[in-house]
Amino acid sequence: MGTAAEKYYNMKEPSGLSERITWLRDYYFMGNERSWNNEFTAWSTGTPWDVQFNEHTYYIVPEMYALMQTVKSSFRQSARNVKLHDRFWSWSLPERRAWFVKEVIVNYVPQEILPGDLIAGARFNVQTSLCLNKKEQKRYDRLILKARSKMKAFHDHGYGNAGATSGHLVPGHERILTMGWKGIHAELEMHYNALSQAERKGEKGAQLLAMMTAATMPRDLAAKYASLCRELAMKEKGTARREELLAMAGNLDRVPWEPPRNFWEAVQALWINHMLIMTDENYPGPGVSFGRIDQYLLPYWETSMSEGMEREFGKEILKCFWVHCNTAYDAMIRNGNQGITAGFGQLITLSGLGKEGRDMTNDLTYAILDVIDEMSPILEPKPNVRLHKNSPEKLLNRCVEMVASCQGAPFLLNFDERSMAGMILEGRLAGIEHLVNSSNVHDYAPVGCLENTMVGNDRSGTVDNNINLLKAVELVMGGGRDILPFTDPMTGKTSPLTQDGPETGDPAVFKTWEEFLYAYSRQTEYIIKRCVDLQEQSESIRAEYSPTPYLSCLVKGCAEKGLDVTRGGAEINFTTMEAVTFATTVDSLLAVKYLVFDKKACTMSELLAALKENWQGHDVLRTMAKNRAPKYGRDDDEADAMASCVMDIWCSETWKHKTVSTGRQFRPGMLSWNYWAGDGFVMAASPDGRMKGEFLSNAICPSNGADINGPTSNANSVGKALGGKAVDGKGDWDGYLNRLPNGASHTITFNPSILKDPEHRGKFRAFLRGYAENGGTALQINMLDPEMLRDAQEHPQNYRHLLVRITGYNAYFVTVGRELQDEVIHRLSHSRF
Amino acid sequence: MKDTGEKITGLVLEIQRMSTEDGPGIRTTVFLKGCPLKCLWCHNPESINRSPQIQWLSSVCIGCGRCIEACGTGALLRGEDGIVIDREKCIACGACTEACPSGAIELMGKRWGVKELADELVKDEAYFRQSGGGVTISGGEVTLQHEFSAALLRELKERGISTAIDTCGLCAGEVLESLLPHTDTVLFDLKVADPELHRKYTGTSNERIHENIIMITEYMKDHILPRELWVRTPLIPGLTATDENIREIGKFIKEKLNGRISRWELCTFNNLCRDKYLRLGIEWSLAETPLLTSEESESLYRAALDSGVLPSVIKLTGSTRVEKNAGPETAGSNKKKGRTPVC
Repeated sequence: MGTAAEKYYNMKEPSGLSERITWLRDYYFMGNERSWNNEFTAWSTGTPWDVQFNEHTYYIVPEMYALMQTVKSSFRQSARNVKLHDRFWSWSLPERRAWFVKEVIVNYVPQEILPGDLIAGARFNVQTSLCLNKKEQKRYDRLILKARSKMKAFHDHGYGNAGATSGHLVPGHERILTMGWKGIHAELEMHYNALSQAERKGEKGAQLLAMMTAATMPRDLAAKYASLCRELAMKEKGTARREELLAMAGNLDRVPWEPPRNFWEAVQALWINHMLIMTDENYPGPGVSFGRIDQYLLPYWETSMSEGMEREFGKEILKCFWVHCNTAYDAMIRNGNQGITAGFGQLITLSGLGKEGRDMTNDLTYAILDVIDEMSPILEPKPNVRLHKNSPEKLLNRCVEMVASCQGAPFLLNFDERSMAGMILEGRLAGIEHLVNSSNVHDYAPVGCLENTMVGNDRSGTVDNNINLLKAVELVMGGGRDILPFTDPMTGKTSPLTQDGPETGDPAVFKTWEEFLYAYSRQTEYIIKRCVDLQEQSESIRAEYSPTPYLSCLVKGCAEKGLDVTRGGAEINFTTMEAVTFATTVDSLLAVKYLVFDKKACTMSELLAALKENWQGHDVLRTMAKNRAPKYGRDDDEADAMASCVMDIWCSETWKHKTVSTGRQFRPGMLSWNYWAGDGFVMAASPDGRMKGEFLSNAICPSNGADINGPTSNANSVGKALGGKAVDGKGDWDGYLNRLPNGASHTITFNPSILKDPEHRGKFRAFLRGYAENGGTALQINMLDPEMLRDAQEHPQNYRHLLVRITGYNAYFVTVGRELQDEVIHRLSHSRF
Repeated sequence: MKDTGEKITGLVLEIQRMSTEDGPGIRTTVFLKGCPLKCLWCHNPESINRSPQIQWLSSVCIGCGRCIEACGTGALLRGEDGIVIDREKCIACGACTEACPSGAIELMGKRWGVKELADELVKDEAYFRQSGGGVTISGGEVTLQHEFSAALLRELKERGISTAIDTCGLCAGEVLESLLPHTDTVLFDLKVADPELHRKYTGTSNERIHENIIMITEYMKDHILPRELWVRTPLIPGLTATDENIREIGKFIKEKLNGRISRWELCTFNNLCRDKYLRLGIEWSLAETPLLTSEESESLYRAALDSGVLPSVIKLTGSTRVEKNAGPETAGSNKKKGRTPVC
């Protein structure tokens, strides 16, 4: 007792795992040394023109650009032929595709069960033929080449990226579990029968027939696995394992075709239903999210618990499910384990509000948190815990204890009030209040990381459009042109400057700040329109050539409309413009205003020259831009007003657009994935003092190091940028406003001393409750780590504001002598404050 | 009640948000400038002087020399290792700070009006409310600018903010008393029990300090505010961190403070502030003093327990020596830490 100062935090280790789970987990982490894996297998119709790789799904991954052709060719080369149905080429494309995918996964891809596994459904990563005939393939190839070159130019010039991407939705798992695929199939038949003869022969009929084929895929696959279980049971010597295998066979005889009756059946059904989405889309998981798993699995959990299931066995089933989710990463396993650096985002949602402001935390919520704790560190499924003003202290306590033991959060936190205010806004602005309103908005769930959507009827393209807001500042500086000509790093060829954006005039003649701001809003209109046009390229190709009939069965609206989800079949059909470089943009505008108009520290021409020369030889001006100009993220009302202004301009532009081919309304969000790092090497130097090659700002976070006033001021700035609270008290939800229905990624790095003892952990819980009032939609908690401090020693200029707090003593890390820095790092390595 | 809150200004060194070490809950701490004590171990030497001062941060400086050009009194020179400040000539006018593009020349001490400062301090109201926190006025010494402090405390209370003062206790009794009606929590330092040693280490005897803390406990008997009185004792190796000193302070608390103490914090010393002394051009006798070992701090904690003060109010906080031979933890190593102090 008493000596509170002594507390060690070791690296998080898994704990409380059974022999079975320890083996499965360890086996998984053997990576490419495993004899079994789930890497892509490629499958062809056998035609000479056949293609598997659907590149538009990877347009949002700039690292892939140079590899597109290679990947495409290697899948083509390795693809094995599938014997086609006699009438295959007489069918419509969706029917061809539905049949082909089903044929591959049921009859060609081997079924396997790992030792001890309680859940069946192992291999699912496939690259299946696009199933196009010669004429279709020729047109597809032509369109894709055009899209690819536009996409590359967009990225090369620093605008960002856009592409129709798979995944990124919460399918209607609850509905499928409740009805079983049998029920879904019957519904599809009903819709088909209701069509006129002409409609049956048309696109609607084709789509519904394709969906009916797809709806039998889980049944037929489950039957295969049931036989496999029985086969293995015959050979099995251990009685206990034999019984498990027979029980699994029994589960698979029933689910997912029939509705599950207990927890084991439900998790088995959920896994097959989920993994086949990844099969159908040929896409290993990113953003294929589970939604509120602790809500829709609860009835099965309670039934099984009341029927005598051991709690530990229920957790054991979940842990097997956890291992399965991680095998998504095997897709490109021969490329090494580099892919396993960040969650793919098969996101699960826990807790959160229910009807009439009720908190929905339950026994299964805690059981799942235990599973996460015991399995950690492990990446998938990625958890997001929904918090709100009335979240129980017990839940907060559990979360904070987990943050403490993991030295960082093993989950994201979503904040209901702010999030729901944004969802209500989207319902109003898009005129879909019947689908999103105050009586159902609590059912929302985040996708991927934190992208808020409704569940089971919503595909909102949450990663499809990534726009660098900063580009508009550059275009103002260049009067609508890039400030520097682009040189292709591959060919070494330099292209001349062109008038890309509107002619907003030479900024050197602007007399007032307002003129600059007006030009900025004009250029923002332009970059957003250009992103919308780029997205249309791949959106229209996908709508024409990449149906996903299986996924369409899981999204409400598709059956009713007889329209594939890729064609806008979902009831809710947004596509999300995710703004990147927000703080860099705000800070750049603040710097222009401060340096040129307020302090007159330089002329606009001098600033432009400095940017063109990447700040080389302009040290004094650059230092002023970085250190003296105001910054977003300090709870400084004046600077934060600029943030609001930028937010208003780009959001209102975003709401003006819809996709042409699929009629999807654009909505705003902020998720920067890793673009803020990579595009830092693409975008020119910026007026905030950033050089080309330095990182841009991440999502809604303040620029790196700008939040000198600590976590509360950082959070307050973010909340204000989103809209804060309504002055008249009548916000969109409980007084809250939120301009970004998608939500915004926010990371705060804390000093581990905030978690050093129970008293401080109590303060941290209170911080989270304060964040729910003042902060953003989602929070990722990081702990300051020794590596970062070592980097700060090497590059003090990047960490000028890094504050280190050691029980009452605070200092900017870079102002402390080397020897003391070493001591701080040493302490931090041991988390001993 | 009309007051002069509009006109009074205070000299503020720093505002620190999300402070977790200066009273209950999450707090915003405002550090005032000027202190009547000269503790050998002072962690904020920049707060002692009652006037604004400048300091130069070498790691931030880009060497442009604009500060030298801007200085009207010739107080800045370019020396071997950067900027040298002639403190005789410097009038802390701030011209150099204004001219400096990087923020390497800092003016420590800024004048704030009461309302203006209160606006800044209430920004974390949501976090205060959720955590039972509020605003702490620290120093320097809060009572040295007592008119300003009283006005600020009153303003904050009017805005519904919970308040605390952190005092060394050296001031006229009525000065301290003037702050109490607006203060929820008093953090009061008892550093050294022996009056002579107190004089030796801090420059002043502790008699007035003792009278004042007793006065507070008397005052609390028939006033709603302050609600809580916390005693804080810095554990300085070789000076205050002796079992005898702790036992004597404990004895004083037990015998003289009428059970009014809700917390007694023993704060272990760290010497991380030695760079601050360097920057201010002050020799610091404790620069090389090592941190307490965990055994030493445990022994002091036991001495506190032995003094008869209610064990539940005694809290040991702060850092102890890191035993470097323990080596960095690696995944899976739960090995016991070596106990030989090397630092």
